[in-house]
Amino acid sequence: MSPAFDVIVIGAGHAGCEAAFAAARLGVRVGLCTLATDTVAHMPCNPAIGGTAKGHLVREIDALGGLMGATIDATGIQFKLLNRSRGPAVWSPRAQADKKIYGRAVKAALDREPNVEWLIGKAGRILVEHGRIVGLAMEDGDAHGCRALVVTTGTFLNGLIHIGPEQHPAGRAGEPPSRELAESLKAVGFTWGRLKTGTPPRLDRASIDFERCVADGRFAVERGDTPPVPFSFLSAPIERAQIDCHLLHTNDRVRDLVRANIDRSPLFNGQIRGIGPRYCPSLEDKIVRFADKERHQIFLEPEGIDAPEIYVNGFSMSLPRDVQADLVHALPGLEEAAIIRHGYAVEYDFIQPTELTRRLEAKRVAGLFLAGQINGTSGYEEAAAQGLVAGANAAHAIGAGGGLELRRDEAYIGILVDDLITKGCLEPYRMFTSRAEHRLLLRIDNADLRLTPRGREAGLVDDNRWERFEQRRSRFARNLKLLDETLLRSDAGDRVAASQLLRQPEIRLADLLAADRIPRFEAGRDSLAFDVASVETAVKYAGYLRRQESEIERARRDERRRIPVNFPFDRVPGLSREVVQRLTQIQPDTLGQALRIPGVTPAAVAVLGAYVGRLAPAAP
Amino acid sequence: MFSVSDTIVAIATPPGRGGIGVVRVSGPDAQRISRALIACDGALAPRHATFTRLRSRGRAADFSAGGAGEQPMRAIDHGVVTFFPAPHSYTGDDVVEVSAHGSPVVLHAIVAAAVDAGARLAEPGEFTLRAFLNGRIDLTQAEAVADLIDAATPLQARAAFDQLEGTLTRAIGDIDAALFDLVARLEASVDFPDEGYHFVEPGALASAIDALTMRTAALVATSRGGRLIREGLTVAIVGAPNVGKSSLFNALAGSARAIVTDVPGTTRDLVTEVVDLNGLRATLVDTAGLRDAGDVVEAEGVARARQSAAVADVVLMVEDRSRPRVEGGSAGRASQFGKELCVANKSDLPATWRDGKAVEISATTGAGIDDLRRRIVAALDVEPSRDRAGVTNVRHVALVERAHAALARARDALSAHGGALPEEFVLADLADARAALEEVSGRRATEDLLAHIFSRFCIGK
Repeated sequence: MSPAFDVIVIGAGHAGCEAAFAAARLGVRVGLCTLATDTVAHMPCNPAIGGTAKGHLVREIDALGGLMGATIDATGIQFKLLNRSRGPAVWSPRAQADKKIYGRAVKAALDREPNVEWLIGKAGRILVEHGRIVGLAMEDGDAHGCRALVVTTGTFLNGLIHIGPEQHPAGRAGEPPSRELAESLKAVGFTWGRLKTGTPPRLDRASIDFERCVADGRFAVERGDTPPVPFSFLSAPIERAQIDCHLLHTNDRVRDLVRANIDRSPLFNGQIRGIGPRYCPSLEDKIVRFADKERHQIFLEPEGIDAPEIYVNGFSMSLPRDVQADLVHALPGLEEAAIIRHGYAVEYDFIQPTELTRRLEAKRVAGLFLAGQINGTSGYEEAAAQGLVAGANAAHAIGAGGGLELRRDEAYIGILVDDLITKGCLEPYRMFTSRAEHRLLLRIDNADLRLTPRGREAGLVDDNRWERFEQRRSRFARNLKLLDETLLRSDAGDRVAASQLLRQPEIRLADLLAADRIPRFEAGRDSLAFDVASVETAVKYAGYLRRQESEIERARRDERRRIPVNFPFDRVPGLSREVVQRLTQIQPDTLGQALRIPGVTPAAVAVLGAYVGRLAPAAP
Repeated sequence: MFSVSDTIVAIATPPGRGGIGVVRVSGPDAQRISRALIACDGALAPRHATFTRLRSRGRAADFSAGGAGEQPMRAIDHGVVTFFPAPHSYTGDDVVEVSAHGSPVVLHAIVAAAVDAGARLAEPGEFTLRAFLNGRIDLTQAEAVADLIDAATPLQARAAFDQLEGTLTRAIGDIDAALFDLVARLEASVDFPDEGYHFVEPGALASAIDALTMRTAALVATSRGGRLIREGLTVAIVGAPNVGKSSLFNALAGSARAIVTDVPGTTRDLVTEVVDLNGLRATLVDTAGLRDAGDVVEAEGVARARQSAAVADVVLMVEDRSRPRVEGGSAGRASQFGKELCVANKSDLPATWRDGKAVEISATTGAGIDDLRRRIVAALDVEPSRDRAGVTNVRHVALVERAHAALARARDALSAHGGALPEEFVLADLADARAALEEVSGRRATEDLLAHIFSRFCIGK
């Protein structure tokens, strides 16, 4: 079979779209396989992009030339910078999305790529010859040759939806699951697991009297920022009108209803075996496991500017339909609300990501890449980030671009991949800023400074972005110099460098600029906030940043001690059987990574270090 | 680097002759190898002492060289053999201990026979290393084993044993647990900003860090005393010529080590002796009398006296009570050196002056010497107590000090920002403190932070 495509991507969710886009940008022919084009970049759960740490991922995707940031900027309907009261390292953007318009915008971006061809239909079997991917067979019998394959099947692998006692096989509401594909992947011999996630009911906007509920205090209004902080380095200021969301709280009646019906919840009566995310507990979990908490927050979020659906954030559940209706109606202000779609839990198969290399390529099959929920993650942003990495590396595997491997100390994406391939998943994996050892250096304001050069090396950053970036980078250097050279009068009356003045906690660069005290400060109009934040942070927190940089330098010694591919861990004397098993399975590429494997002690790594370089790699 | 999967053997008792000597064999082949040494054929019962004949081969002269392979096996001694199966042994491997008569010839023969049967001679410290690698003990405990063996005084032994028992590990673990909880709450406030929780009550952060800082400060404070216990202290005896410094030196040393005459300026160079001072290992230093020296040699001696007083942990400023007190003695001036004890010597002669602060002794009769010993130890404040962990090891001291400095830095930065320094900066310092504490026990920071958060708070929409 002569390959019709260089790269085939299965699935056009957030991972698949970034993968296809990245590979196409690297000049290879991409086939993007999806069931239907009206669900491209679909958001089956909450209608929002970003949030703490997730916003960082989106900024990084953008800095590497990806789709997500620019698309949400172009289509978002409410923007908020979280953690504004804290320091710049944990500022994190989030936006409510118009689901339909967002999906259409992503599809349009892919349609504009001449290298992307849509393959509409249901993926069936992966075709492997001599341990290498050669193509994809569709369920209808067609086969397409390819040299690399990116699988991004989300929750579709043996997906099973639960609503109370009702169970039906489905990847998402109303869409059939992938069974044949699941079987053909399993045949490779991967380690599997089963996870669970859930989604709340959707309500009919017309059945809720928002004005009255706000007036009598049952709902609190949640507004966006004005002006919004964009996700993308390239976005023009966002001047669109923004929608409101609404906050309400659960009450005793909700608690009593859940308790009375808990044995009808598939989560609690043994019907569901998959493991759900702790950070996104179902309503049942909240009431049962945190019995002492009196009430829980519920956000009402429109799914689009004109969409009829209201997403009930914080109310995810798998209770039977009648209980769901009672629960919704028990909420203050929602007594009359009509349910458009019920909440549900979905169980799905995932492949332990310890099966993958740092490029998200399967160790067992050359040319097979996995990204998104199939790797045990949750979240659109985590999926998109992996899609970008897998797409860039799939193209690289057939000779296009420079490949993309990011380190933990340079990107949240690096942390995401390293955690997955080193530790595997016991529950759906979500990004948090606390996962970053050197959080102060991984900020949204410097995402471009950190990563755009890496994206350029990988071939993902086009000339337009690169030119704008180089301006930004030299502006940053000039502004730093300017602050050292500009003398300002301090409160004490003496003249000191602006940079020195800025080190005082109460002095803010924005205030100095507003008072025109540093007239030669340069800020691109579009990215004013980031220009200011990067310079201010570099100056004000210089001591902290230096310390983290030197920690990184220390840690890199371990990261530089490479462990050869196929290293015979079983021939290192003195390692316990469990440790040998973990090391052999995960195949860490450095001593630093070996240290992060759960159950591998520093003592074991010390012994390992003594033998790396002394034992020859085994034959593969 | 040691290999840790083979079977090692060594004599566990000190060199020389004794009533009993022990040979220890550790590793996967310990049982098989030790069966080659003994007359009985059956499997060794776990943790049972078996009285048996011990065998070796070859002529006595060849024992230490590893034995001559062609010689027949023959009984060489009676002994007791005990088998400790893994993992419940000192090293965590299979261990066999062979107790024989404490003759170097016999013990070497046993070792040679074990080597013959496939064991390897152990490197120094290798049994303890295996215990560490097998997770039987942590790093502080491994260090404690070495300290306990090296202990020269009862106090040193006690401090080392406390550490072996895990007192220090627990004390540091307690601080780390409190720190961990604070870090988890701060991380939660950063990662879950809109959950409607106060993870850390406003204003509580500074006092929480203060409480931690006090605990690390207390540990650091024990370190000076701990270091004195572990490494010993120096006591310098200084004073004017002919006040009886050398006599006191001899009295404390319990021997006529220094030359004593009536001629002022007899002691010209430093004389030292190591003594057990109520459990502390002390180096006594006798010095030249402080005066304007008569010749170059004595001048150099006086200079050395001052120098050794300056670096000593305790200075005994000796005066003659039987003669009028001289200006420039210890009376009426601030002490020149750190810990200074005023000693009024010659209490056996009629007194010409009295000073309530001075310790009255007679170096000649020995009166007051015991009291002086107690006063020296009291001045150092090193008496360890059971309920207080002492930090004695230099590596531990440096790490606890690093943790303390990181906490103090967090606290200072918080004050500088009027209590409003964003959490992530506080967290950067707290993480540094945790890393230092966990380095003490050799335990690595684990990723259990999120688990801690999720178990305590209902988070997520």
